[in-house]
Amino acid sequence: MIRFVVRRLLQSVPLLIVISLLIFTLIHAAPGGPLSTYLENPNVRPEDIERLRKAMGLDRPLGLQYLSWLAAFVRGDWGFSYADGRPVLDRLVERIPATLELIGVACVMALIAALPAGILAAVNRRFDRVSSVFAVAGISLPVFWFGLVLQLVFAGALGWLPSSGRASFDGGDLLDRLAHLILPATVLAAALSAAWSRYLRRAMRDTVARPFIRAARSRGLSERTLLLHHALPNALPTFVTVVLLDISMLASGAVVTESIFAWPGIGSLFTEALGKRDYAVLMAFLMCGSVAVMVLNLVADLAVHALDPRTREGA
Amino acid sequence: MNTASLTSTSASDATSRAPRIAAYLLGALILGAVLAPALAPFAVDALDLANRRAAPSSLHWFGTDELGRDVMTRVLFGARVSLAIGLVSALVSAAIGAAVGATAGYGGRVVDDILMRITDAMLAIPRLPLLMITAAVLQPSVAVLVLLVGLAGWMETARVVRAEVLSLAARDFVAAARAMGASPLRVVLRHVLPGVVPAAAVATTLAVGRGILLESALSFFGVGVQPPSASWGNMLYQAQTTMTSEPWLAIFPGAMIFLTVLACNAVGDAIGAARG
Amino acid sequence: MKRLLIGSLPLALALTACGGGGSDTARAPKAAGDLLTIGYDREPDTMNRYATHILEDIESCVVEGLVVNDEKMNIIPVLALEVPTIANGGVTLQPDGGMDVTWKLRPGVKWHDGVPHTSADVKFTVDAINKGDWKPESVDGFDRIASVDTPDSLTAVVHYREVYAPYRLQFVRGTLPKHILDGKSIDAATDYNRKPLGTGPYRVVEWKTGEYILLEGVPNYWRGAEFPKIKRLLFKFLPNTTTRINQLKSGEVQLVALVPWDKVRELRGLPDVRLNQVVGNGYEHVTLNQKRFTPFADVVVRRAMAHAIDRDLIVNTLLDSLVTVVNGPIQPLSSAYEKNVTTYPYDPARARVLLDSAGWITGADGIRVKAGKRLAFTLITQSGFAIRENVSQTLQKQFRDVGIDASVRLIDGTSISSVWFKGDFDAMLHWWQQGADPEMTLFFASDRMPPAGRNINYFKDDSLTAMLYASDRTADDQQRITLLKAAQRRLAVLIPELPLYNTAKVDAVPARLTGFTGNPTNAGPFWNVYQWQLTAR
Repeated sequence: MIRFVVRRLLQSVPLLIVISLLIFTLIHAAPGGPLSTYLENPNVRPEDIERLRKAMGLDRPLGLQYLSWLAAFVRGDWGFSYADGRPVLDRLVERIPATLELIGVACVMALIAALPAGILAAVNRRFDRVSSVFAVAGISLPVFWFGLVLQLVFAGALGWLPSSGRASFDGGDLLDRLAHLILPATVLAAALSAAWSRYLRRAMRDTVARPFIRAARSRGLSERTLLLHHALPNALPTFVTVVLLDISMLASGAVVTESIFAWPGIGSLFTEALGKRDYAVLMAFLMCGSVAVMVLNLVADLAVHALDPRTREGA
Repeated sequence: MNTASLTSTSASDATSRAPRIAAYLLGALILGAVLAPALAPFAVDALDLANRRAAPSSLHWFGTDELGRDVMTRVLFGARVSLAIGLVSALVSAAIGAAVGATAGYGGRVVDDILMRITDAMLAIPRLPLLMITAAVLQPSVAVLVLLVGLAGWMETARVVRAEVLSLAARDFVAAARAMGASPLRVVLRHVLPGVVPAAAVATTLAVGRGILLESALSFFGVGVQPPSASWGNMLYQAQTTMTSEPWLAIFPGAMIFLTVLACNAVGDAIGAARG
Repeated sequence: MKRLLIGSLPLALALTACGGGGSDTARAPKAAGDLLTIGYDREPDTMNRYATHILEDIESCVVEGLVVNDEKMNIIPVLALEVPTIANGGVTLQPDGGMDVTWKLRPGVKWHDGVPHTSADVKFTVDAINKGDWKPESVDGFDRIASVDTPDSLTAVVHYREVYAPYRLQFVRGTLPKHILDGKSIDAATDYNRKPLGTGPYRVVEWKTGEYILLEGVPNYWRGAEFPKIKRLLFKFLPNTTTRINQLKSGEVQLVALVPWDKVRELRGLPDVRLNQVVGNGYEHVTLNQKRFTPFADVVVRRAMAHAIDRDLIVNTLLDSLVTVVNGPIQPLSSAYEKNVTTYPYDPARARVLLDSAGWITGADGIRVKAGKRLAFTLITQSGFAIRENVSQTLQKQFRDVGIDASVRLIDGTSISSVWFKGDFDAMLHWWQQGADPEMTLFFASDRMPPAGRNINYFKDDSLTAMLYASDRTADDQQRITLLKAAQRRLAVLIPELPLYNTAKVDAVPARLTGFTGNPTNAGPFWNVYQWQLTAR
C-alpha cells in the first residue's frame, strides 16, 4: 500500500509540470492581459501602458516568463498578484477557509439526502418514481438560476435569510454564519445529492442482482439485512469513487455558486482573476486545484481498495 | 440477467410506459430542433421593438423577449444548439470514456497506469475554470463548444467503467471464461463490456444534462453560445433579472432543459435495466 | 433531493425563529443614520488612488484631492484654497514656453494621524510619481513637470516644461503623505495601500478580503465636527449584478451606484429606494475602423450609415428614455460643448440614395456591392452588457434595411480592450467615459492611432489635428473653448464615428438619504459624501 502511494506521488510530479505548461500556455493565449483593465480609463495613455508592461515584466518572451515562474514556483515562491501586488500565496490562503466551509457543509447535506434516498429508490418503486423526479430536477437546474430563485424567494419575498455573503459584518456569530450558509450550500447540495442518489440506486440494483444476494435471499435473510449488510457494502466502491470525484471537482471552489452568493472563496477569486487576467493568481489557483484533485483521486483509489476486497489483487 | 425480477421491484419497470414516453419526447425534441426553420412561427432574427416583453398570447405562444422576438421561435432554434451540445458531447464523452476505461481496466498494470495517469491529469485541472479559459481563448462557435464540453467530460465515465471492469474481471464467470482460453478481446467484448453498460449508461445520461448545464454556466460568465444565436442556457441567463416581471422568458427555456434531462434519464435507465 | 428540501426547510425556519441572527442586523441598522451599506460591484485592487485602475469611489471618502468636480462638472477646490487660473494669478506663462501653477493649500488641514498637510506632501507626490520605481496607473501631466518649489508650508509652485491645459485636475487624486511613505517602496507599502492615510471624512477600519471594506467617520474632520453626518460606510463587494440588485431589493444593501440601465426598470417603485439620475459625461457610439474595413474611409458611406440608424427608437425603447441622442464626443455639461453641428436624422431613403451615389449597388442577396466587395462587416461589442447586446442587434437590423450587412460578435470585457487596442475589428459599439476636462486629442488626432493613442477610427484629418493640438497648448480658457468648438463642428461634418446617445449615471440610494447629488464623471457620486445624511423615516 505504501509503495502504491509513493509510486503515485512520484508519477504526479511530471504530470504537474505538463499541466503547468498547458495552463500557462492557455491563459496567455486568452486575449487581453493584466493591463487590459487599465485601457478602460482614457486617462491612461499608451505611454503608461508601455511603462507598466515593463514594470510587470510582461515584455519578456513568454518562454522566459514560464521558466522563471516554474523556477520560482518549485522554490515555493508563488509571486505577486498582478492586480493588487500582494503575495499570491496570501491571496489564496485567505480564501480557502470560506470554500472549505461551503463545500464541507454542502457535501454533508448531500450525503444525508443521497444515502437514504438512493437505497430506498433501489427497492421501493413508488419512492423511486417520486425521488427520480426530484433527482432530475436537481440535476437539470442550472446552478445560477436555482441560486437566484432561492435568493428571490428566501431573501426577497420571504425575507428569512440573507441573500448572499458569508457573514454580516457586525454579526458573525454561529447563527449568522449558518444563515448565510444555507442558500449556497443548498444549491450545491441539490445537484450533488441528485446525482449521488441516482448512482447509489444504480449500484444497489446491480448488486442486488448478483448471485450471492440471491443465495443470501434463499437462505431466508430479511430484506433489510440483505440490503444494509450485503448489498450496500458491495455497492459502496462505485459510489465512493463518484462522491470523491465530485468533491474533488469542487475543491477548486464552486465557481458559479460563489459568484452568485458573493461567497469569498477561491472560486470567486478565480472569476475575479480571470477577468483581470491576473496570471500569477490564475496559475497558483489552477495548480492548487490540480494538486487537490490528484490527492483526492488517490484517496478515492485507496478507498476503493479498502472497501472492495476483490480489487486488492487487481491493481 | 434481469435485475428487476430479482428485487422487490416489479418486472414491468423496464417495459412500463415511462421510458417509451420519454423516448418519444426526446424524439420530438430532436425533430423539433431539426425542423426548427419550418416549424418556427417567426423568423429567428425578426425584431419588433414596438412589441417588447409581450406576455404569451395566441400570436406569440411563449411571449416575446427584450427585442420583441418570438420566444417560441428562439426556443426551437435554441434546441438545435442545446441538444447538440448535450447529446453530441455526451456521446463524445461516452465513447472516449468507455474506450479508455475498458482498456485501462483490462489491459494490465502498465496500460492501466499510463491511461489512468492521463485521466488523472485531465481530471485534475479544474473543469469549469479550464473551460472558461479555453472558451475565452477560442471565442467558440457551437461546434467548438460541443467538442470542448465533450472533451471535458470523458474522464468520469472512464473512471467508472474502469472500476466496473476491474470488479467484473475479478468475478468467477470472467475467470472461468479466461480459464477456458477465450482471448482477452473476446472476454472484454462478450463478458466484461455488457456488464459495464448500466454504469456507463447512467454516466452518459447524466452527461447530457451536465453538458447542457455546462453551456449555461459558460453563458453565465459570458463565454458560452453568443447572442444573437439562442441556446436554452443563454436564454435562461438573459432572463435572470426578469424572473418576477416576465417569468415566461425563464420558464420556457428552463422547462425545455428540465424535460430533456428527464427524458434522457428515463431512456438511460431503461437501457441500463434492459441490458443489465 | 426530496430529503434535502424537507431537511433544510425546518432548519431555515428554526434559524429565523430563534432570533433571526444576521438577517435582521443586515436589514435594519440599529440606529437610523448610523450606517450606510453600499453594494459595490468590485473589490479595489489597492486603496492607493494613484495606483488603482478602477474607480476611486471608496478611496475618495478617505483621501481627498486638491480639487474635485461637482455634479455640474465645475472644478471646485477641496484641499486647495482656490483653483489656480491665469485670471487669479495662479498660472503664469514662462518665456521659455513653460508654465508655473501655484497651488495655495487650505490651512489647518491635518492627516488622520494629526500631522499637518503641507506643500511638502505635494512636492513628494510629484517626485514619487516621477521617480518611476513603482506602478502608478497614469503619469499623465506629471511627466511634464520639471520641479516643484515649496516657498512656504502652504504654497506649492509646480513648474511645467510646457503648457499643459488640463493642469487643474493634476492633483484630483490628492497627495501622498511624505511622513509615511518617504524612503519606502510604495508598491510594497501594504499598510498604506490597504489602509491609506488621508485627510478625508472617513478612515478605513477593516478590509475583509472578498467581502467588504468598512469606513468610519473621523472625529476631527477639517470641515467641522458635524461632518461626516453618517457614522459608518460599509462597502460590500457584490460583483454579480443580479445579486447586487437582489440585495438592494431585500434591503441588505441600501445604495447601489451606477445601476445598469436594463435594471433600472425593476427598481422603480421600490418604496425605500430613490433613483438619482445625472447625465454622464460619456457617449455611446459606433467606432468605424477605416484601416481594417476600408469602405468606412468614404465619408459618404459614413453619412449614409448615420442616416440609417433610428437613434430615437433605440433610446425610447431599449433604453427606456434614460439617455438622450447626442451628436458628438463633448457633452452639454462641458463648457466646451458646441450645440450647432451637422446632424444626421433617421432617413433610410436618404441613406440608400447616398450609398447609390457612392457606387454601392444592391446585390442579389440585398447587400450592396462595389467593385466585388460586399458592404459587410463585423460589429463587435462587449458581452454580458445586456443593453449593448440588444442595441447591436437593432443596429444590425437597421443597417440591413439599407443594404449593409453587419454581423454582431460579442467579446468579453477583458478581451475586447486588447482587441480594439490592436485595431483588430471592423466596427465597435462602445463608449468613452471622460473626465471633466474636454481634451479629445487622444481620440481624434491623426498621430494618435494605437499604440500612440485612442484614435481607433484610424481617422486622419490634418486641419482637425491642428485644432486639437492648438487647444492643448493654450492656457487661455476662452481660446481653448473656441478651438474645441471648431473641432466639434469639423468632426460632425466628417463623422468618423457614429455618435448614438449619452450615458446616464443612475444611482439607487435610500429614499431618506439627503445631500446625494451623483456625479457625471468618474469622480463618482461619493465626491460630497461628508454632506450625506440619513434622515429619520
